[in-house]
Amino acid sequence: MTSMNDSIDPVARPARFGLFGRCLRTSMTGRVGFGLVMFVVIVAIFGPLLTPYAPKDQSAMYAVGANARPSADHWLGTDRLGYDILTQLLYGARTALVVGLGAVLISGCAGILIGGIAGYRGGWTDEVLMRFAEFFLVVPIFIIILAVVRVLSKAVTGTAFETMPYFNLTVIILMIGLFGWAPIARMTRGEFLRIKTLEFVQAARCGGQSGRQIVLSEILPNAFPSIVVLIALEIGGAILAEAMISFLGFGDPNAVSWGQMLYFNYQSLKIWPMASLAPGFMIFITVLGFNLLADGLSDAANPRARRR
Amino acid sequence: METGRYILRRLIYAAIMMLCTSAVIFFLINSLGNPVELMLAETPGVSQETVDLISAQYGLDKPLIQRYFIWIGDLLRLDFGTSITYNLPVGGMIWSWGLHSMQIQIPAIILSVAVAICAGTWAARRQHSRQDFTVMGTVLLGQSMPAFFLGIILIYIFSFVLGWFPSYGAISTRRLLWGSALFDGLWHMVLPVAMISMFNIATLTLLVRTNMIDTLRQDFIRTARASGLKEGEIIRRHALRMVMLPVITYVGLLLGLMLGTSPVTETVFTWPGLGALYVMAIQQLDYPLIMGISIVIAVMLILMTTLTDILYALIDPRVRLE
Repeated sequence: MTSMNDSIDPVARPARFGLFGRCLRTSMTGRVGFGLVMFVVIVAIFGPLLTPYAPKDQSAMYAVGANARPSADHWLGTDRLGYDILTQLLYGARTALVVGLGAVLISGCAGILIGGIAGYRGGWTDEVLMRFAEFFLVVPIFIIILAVVRVLSKAVTGTAFETMPYFNLTVIILMIGLFGWAPIARMTRGEFLRIKTLEFVQAARCGGQSGRQIVLSEILPNAFPSIVVLIALEIGGAILAEAMISFLGFGDPNAVSWGQMLYFNYQSLKIWPMASLAPGFMIFITVLGFNLLADGLSDAANPRARRR
Repeated sequence: METGRYILRRLIYAAIMMLCTSAVIFFLINSLGNPVELMLAETPGVSQETVDLISAQYGLDKPLIQRYFIWIGDLLRLDFGTSITYNLPVGGMIWSWGLHSMQIQIPAIILSVAVAICAGTWAARRQHSRQDFTVMGTVLLGQSMPAFFLGIILIYIFSFVLGWFPSYGAISTRRLLWGSALFDGLWHMVLPVAMISMFNIATLTLLVRTNMIDTLRQDFIRTARASGLKEGEIIRRHALRMVMLPVITYVGLLLGLMLGTSPVTETVFTWPGLGALYVMAIQQLDYPLIMGISIVIAVMLILMTTLTDILYALIDPRVRLE
């Protein structure tokens, strides 16, 4: 039993712990992506320390007015509503990351669970679950999310949810997560189907491990590299989706989000471009960061496919 | 025979998909509350009787399940109902607004396929060279560029700084360009089309390049080279055919998705298309319009993927055997 595990581990371990390291060592895009993502993370954590203003502080209206050019007090100027642009950008990073991680937590768990069951069980279960997933791949997700977010925000008028902080943002995260699991499920299923026929899994089965043990300690760790690539991509996608929902005016009025900054300031693009271009640029580098990271991770996960 | 059965199977499958999608759209949106109550939620002094009366007028007093089947029955007769805010038949509105969306989406798709085939082939023939690296870098940047940010940059540069193109609308309200509706329309299309194609060009170029590199390694290309054909001829007459297969699939997807992505595009350019109408319908909680547009977009997506699959099977017989 023990000796069996020893002979299996070398296969599982590098894939699990070395993926990020290999990504950073071998892939230029991976390094740049990791750098961008870390930048956004650091901004999200420490950003509020850099600014004396609260995110909802419109007092600049009394001093420099709306659409003010950069000054010593307001490094990037103020926007159409008198908010300090830099402050909004810094707090927006938090919203973006919460949306990205929250949505992917939901879609990742659901996707790995459903895809894993489909791939491991196979047969009839697989057929049903994958048809179900396929359905989620062809519905126009964005259109439906928009309608649901808007209708829900109106439907809670007069109920206990109305006073819940960040209710709209929670709905957006839930919807993006609940509609985003299908690609992860499909990838997990494919990996499970491939890995469960490999020799070391057969060996573990002969060694008397239970089905659950095999899935958790043999198949999942080896399927993980491919799944992580998709998860990185989906975090970027979720952030972009929230930005678009907010840009169309259906975001959370209590949250500070880059998409919402665009929504409020877009009309005065001609007067003060910074107020629209700066949040747009932040969305761009965040999405770019996660996409590049995914690219690097995919190179690290499949080194053989790299030089093609 | 085999092909016929495959097509039939795909069509039945598509019909089931459409039925499921319609159920999701209907129940997700309608189970969250009575539309009339929601619309009047912030209007003071509306009595319950008034709400009931208006609900009855729109047939909302019936149970949800029954309403769903009435809605499906109406849809099958192409009756989308009447818009609450515009008091116009929804079907006609979708058609006229939809045509405006097509006006920018179709040219954008044609343009992106043309550019991507050239750029992808060009990069594939110079694999690992500096030119290839430049193309690939641009592609990666282009794929991560949020479409609306690109649109805003385009408007800022070409409309506000340079003043070459209009920043909003589909036609000038005061004086047409060169006094011609055609030129004026084309003039307004330039920036939206550029914005939509940019993302598609990035993805398609990547697709063409990868497939071209794979194809150029295959035996029949080596045979063609050995028989003394010129490289340009090999690519045009032999390799491109292979590369076109995945491109067709992707274009089918683009055609299906084009209306689904239009809300953002059309908001950026204030373009009077289906997406802008959808955003308006959601703001006004115009239920017949919301459901009508979303079901049209969903059906379009399913129809296009199905058609692509069928077309693919007709071109490449190996697919049918799966």
